[in-house]
This record gives sequence, structure tokens and C-alpha cells, in this order.
Amino acid sequence: MIALTSPYIWYTSRISGVISLVMLTLVIVLGILISTRVGGRRVGRFEITEMHRSISLIAMIFLAVHVVTTVIDTYVNIHWISAVVPMTSSYQRLPVAIGTVAIDLMLAVWLSSQLKERIDPRAWRAIHFSSYASFVAAASHAYLAGTDEHATWGLIVLGGCVGTVVLATIWRILGRPERAVGRTALSPLEHSQDPYR
Amino acid sequence: MGRTVTFRMVVDPIRCDGFGHCAELAPELVTLDEWGYPILQVEPFPQSDRELHRSAQLAVRGCPRQALTLQKITAAQSSELPERR
Amino acid sequence: MTLELTTRRVLANHLDHPKTMTEHEADFGSSKGLAITIDELRQSGITGRGGAAFPTAKKVEFLLQQRRATRYVVVNAMEGEPAAHKDRMLLATNPHLVLDGAMVLANLLNADAVIVCIAREHVTTISQVKAAIAQRGARRLQGPSFEVQSPPGRYVAGEESALVHWLNSNETLPQYRPTRPALLQIGRGGVLLDNAETHANIGLIARHGAEWFRRVGTATRPGTTVTSVTGNGKAIVLEVAYGTPIRSILSEAGITYEPLALLLGGYGGTWLDGQHLDVGFDDDSLRPLGAGTGAGVIMALPPESCGVAECARIVDYMAKESARQCGPCAFGLPAMAEDLRALASGHNAGESLARLASRSAVIEGRGACRHPDGVVRFVRTALHVFAEDFNAHAAGHPCGFAHGAPVSYIPHQSDVKDLEWE
Repeated sequence: MIALTSPYIWYTSRISGVISLVMLTLVIVLGILISTRVGGRRVGRFEITEMHRSISLIAMIFLAVHVVTTVIDTYVNIHWISAVVPMTSSYQRLPVAIGTVAIDLMLAVWLSSQLKERIDPRAWRAIHFSSYASFVAAASHAYLAGTDEHATWGLIVLGGCVGTVVLATIWRILGRPERAVGRTALSPLEHSQDPYR
Repeated sequence: MGRTVTFRMVVDPIRCDGFGHCAELAPELVTLDEWGYPILQVEPFPQSDRELHRSAQLAVRGCPRQALTLQKITAAQSSELPERR
Repeated sequence: MTLELTTRRVLANHLDHPKTMTEHEADFGSSKGLAITIDELRQSGITGRGGAAFPTAKKVEFLLQQRRATRYVVVNAMEGEPAAHKDRMLLATNPHLVLDGAMVLANLLNADAVIVCIAREHVTTISQVKAAIAQRGARRLQGPSFEVQSPPGRYVAGEESALVHWLNSNETLPQYRPTRPALLQIGRGGVLLDNAETHANIGLIARHGAEWFRRVGTATRPGTTVTSVTGNGKAIVLEVAYGTPIRSILSEAGITYEPLALLLGGYGGTWLDGQHLDVGFDDDSLRPLGAGTGAGVIMALPPESCGVAECARIVDYMAKESARQCGPCAFGLPAMAEDLRALASGHNAGESLARLASRSAVIEGRGACRHPDGVVRFVRTALHVFAEDFNAHAAGHPCGFAHGAPVSYIPHQSDVKDLEWE
């Protein structure tokens, strides 16, 4: 294989990784806004769903760039297989493996959503929840393998992403009106009442 | 003998979780009850109403739980329509 | 129409114990070789005794048309309706009639198995039916195997799609079935599901024929109906021909008072004003009055009770029995229960009356099953029959009886939040 290395490929690998994480954060926050039924007045709920879908596509694209540039760059020795099979990289085995797990989960979420009409809704839902796990893996990977995470700006970005997702998740759990036994989600309308409170 | 093709939007009430996207995307066909669940127009609309058809398609695609379907009704079937909303 | 007051057919020769196989065959004739044809079934005109009154022959024909390698016959003895006791009474009296009916239908359909579904709380009935099945085993009749299954006894667990769904996946959840007729399936096998009383009648038609069956009852509702009568603190079950005047049924059941009103068909049924006692107990006679027999249930409200309070109790129960899969039912029924509670007490009931009417219109027809529709029908007929009382309560002048002894039996419901919808 041609020795293909250049600072620009390496920089692209790093920055696309950071952008992927930021995009993932946005996607998760938008997903939480959908499930908590935010919107309907100035911003349409359907618009939030559309944004969630388009930004997830953008995230996947940046993720692909991150993977491709990391693999082809011979500065670090990572083979294609390591993109999807964890623990196969000789460079930073565990940190890369965690990133691989994140990719696997995100792929599962994204693909299952592309095939949403064809798969069982409950299966889709279960897979979709692993987005949270993929975020944890992605953030851990960013911290452990990320070259920029030892720079201030890197830590700020990472901290911002993690903080945002954590807060949004807490808000989702606490802030939602109580569900009616979980089989039917409650629509938070003005005068809605939880009959079983 | 007219062969009017009409359409009607139908909801699976079990899948529906009251997200309300349908009311935003097809307000001519959907209103929400006080709990956020859709009340669908019962009368079918003609295929010739392109805008309405488009709204309905967007609503069907936009439903987060895929609870909506667009039911095609030929003139022969219209007498046997079950009364669902 | 023969007007025998209590026409004992499926409840014939009631003993103090469920008839054994020997006693059963001594009374009714041998069960061996018993069979029925689809023509006989059709000519009998028998309709389902589970409340929907669907022509049984049509159901069988529909299943016969489906190409299925496997078929099942399900006997619905769930009896989730609190005001009904007739399926349990039937199985405690002539269980083998029910099993005979299921057997002949299974043979007609080439079904290998009969599944008798009994609510798991009805422990006595379960053991009675299991004993009967064991007796049949010893008797070695040709035909399907029998088994008992026991889902939890929720109100909607007896709804046919919920019952079959439980048999498939252990959850008593009614299913969305947009296309009718809809085939019920266990795995890939087609299912014929009928109420226990329907099966019992078929057990008799197989012996005596369609013409015999039609000798009592009405033209559209031939045969008898095993009816549960409540209201005086007791639960009486009697078998009468369809069309028997309600007054006669009540007096035979020991109801000595002039009822304020009648609740027909159970907690999802219809109210009838107490002045209509001379109407025949069948759907054709009751329909012009906005009522129906349902699965043969009559609750006679005594004079010193409060219709509004009874409605509040019953709708509260029905709201908590919702499977909560569909928004209009999950939220609409508790909302109506709330309005009824306000009306029953007479406090802050100003807008409740109007809301009841408008919410009924909004909720109706928007669930996957008919549970909310039953409640809407119950409320609408109540608003009509108890119009004066509702108006008085709404104006803040409740009658004195709202806090009296309740009439309707409300089963214990575990805390709603923890409901097991197994």
C-alpha cells in the first residue's frame, strides 16, 4: 500500500470525528424533543422530526469521512476491518474498539430507521434506544483516542456534548408528565390530566 | 358509471401515540382531540384533489409511529366503509 | 313463540354438582358419534351468545373458506362482565354440553384441539371443566383434544382478539383489525371462537336438529338466552326464551320491586327506563327503545338508588379496565368518569353534563376495540333515561340516594398503576 500520509488527512480525521460527535449530540437532543412532544406553536413538531432525520444523515456522512480518513492514513495503522469489528486494531486497541462499538450501534440505529416501514415497531424502538449507548461509546472514544482531547478546546467541546446529552436525558426522564402505564404516551397539552396520578 | 377513486386516511389507534404531526401536515383532514389524538375526516376525498392528496401523503410519511395509512377506495367499495375515525 | 317462563335447555336438569359424563349421557343422550352439518347450523339460525349475536354459521363458513392446515376451536368462558354469571353457571351445570358443542364444531372444521378459556380467578370453574375433560378422556370419544387455558380475568380479556392474542403472546391486549371479517389465528392456525353458551346450544342442535332449536325464541333470535339478573343483592341465573317479557324474567328471578331503570347487556350495555317492563327480551323488540340484550345481562335498579351514582361507579371501573393502548379510551374514559363523579356528588358539576355529551361523541369509534364504544353507549342511554336526575345533580341538587348502598357489583381492581396486563 502506498504510504499515504499527509497532515491534512490526519487533521480531517480528527476534525470529522469531533464534528460527528457534535452532530450525534444534536441528533439525540432533537430525538428527545420529539419524544417529549415539544413544539406545535412556532416550530412544527414535524419540522423537528425532519431535522432529526436530516442531521442524522449528516452525522453519518461525517462519521464516514472520519472512518475513511483514519483508515487510509498510514500514520496510524488501522485496517478497514477495525471500523466494524472491535479490538482488531493494533493502534490504541481499546480506545479504537470503543469507537467501533459506537459505529456499530449507530449503523444499527440508522439502518433500522431507513427500513422502518419493514421492521417490527417494537424491534425498531429497542434498537433506537441504543443511541444512548452509542453516545457513551462515542464520547469515551473521543476522550481516550482523540488527539485533541488534551487540548482545551477539545475538552470544552467534549464536555459540552456530554453535558448537553446528560441534561437533555434527565429532562426527558423527569420533565415529562407521567405516562399512563407506558402503553400510551401522554401528550403534554395545556389541560391534560394524568388520570392515574 | 363513474369510476371515481377516492382516498381516506386511516389510523391504527394502537400504534398512534399522539405525537400530532399529522394535524400539522394535513390540517384539512385531521384535528386533535383534547388529549392530542387525531380525529380523522371520515368522508373520503377524491384523487383529483392533488394538494389534499399530497398533504395526506406527507402526514402518512411523517408519523413517528407509522400509524397512518392512506386507504384507496374504489366506487364499488364505498358502500361498505366501516365507520372509523 | 312458545312462552314457557324458564325454558330449560342448556340448563336442563340442574343438579347440585356439574353433571358427570355418565349423568350427562343419561340425560341428553350419547355424545359418541355426535355431529353437525353446516346446513343444520345455518338453518338453526343460531347467533352468538357472547354479546355480539353474530350468526354462528357465518363464522364457521368463513373459517372453512380459509385454507389453513391447522384449526382450533376456542370456547370463550372468560365472563369478564361483572354483572354476568351465566357461563360459570352453565359450566357448573352441564359442562359436557359445552364440550359436545365444541367437539362437533371441531370435527366439522377438522380442528385438532379445543381450547376452553376460563379466567384464572374462576378457580372452581377451572377445576370443574378439567374434571369434565378428564371424564371425556376416559370415555374415549373420537375427536379433538381438550385443554383449559386461564388468562387473567380482566374485562377486555374476553374480547375475542384480546383472548386470542393472549393465547399467542401472553398479553390480554385487543388488536387493531381494520379489515372485517378478520381471521383469528393462533400461530398460523385459523380459529373459531364462540361463547360457552353458544357451544352448549350447538351440543343440543347436534342432537335435536335445527327445527327443534327454532321452536322457542324469535325469528331472528331463535332459542334461549341464559340471563344473569342482579339488582337485589343476589345473582340469579335463569334460562328464558328470547322474547320473554322482561317483567316475567324479573319476577321469576325474585325481583319484587318496581325497578327505577334496567341496565341491559352489562356495563357496556344500554339503560332502559323502568316503564318498559313489558317489552320482550330480544334485540328486535329492544332496538326501537335504543337497547339490546347483550350477552343476557339484566341489572334492575331498585327504587331507592341513584342512577347517576351507579353510572359513576361503573364508568370508573370501565375506565380502569381499559387496555390503555389507544388515546381516546385511555384518556377519554377516565375523563368521563371524572365528570360522572362530579355529577354524582353534585359539587362543581356545572360543565360536566355538557362535557359528557361532547366527549362521548369524540371518543366513540376511535379505539381499536369496542370497549370505549360500550362505555359511550352506556353513558348516552343513561343521560336519556336519567335525564331528570342528571339535571338535578348538575344544578347542585343531588338526590338523597347517591351515598346509599351501591347496587352494581364492582370487582376489586388492584392499583391501576401496577396492573398486570399479562
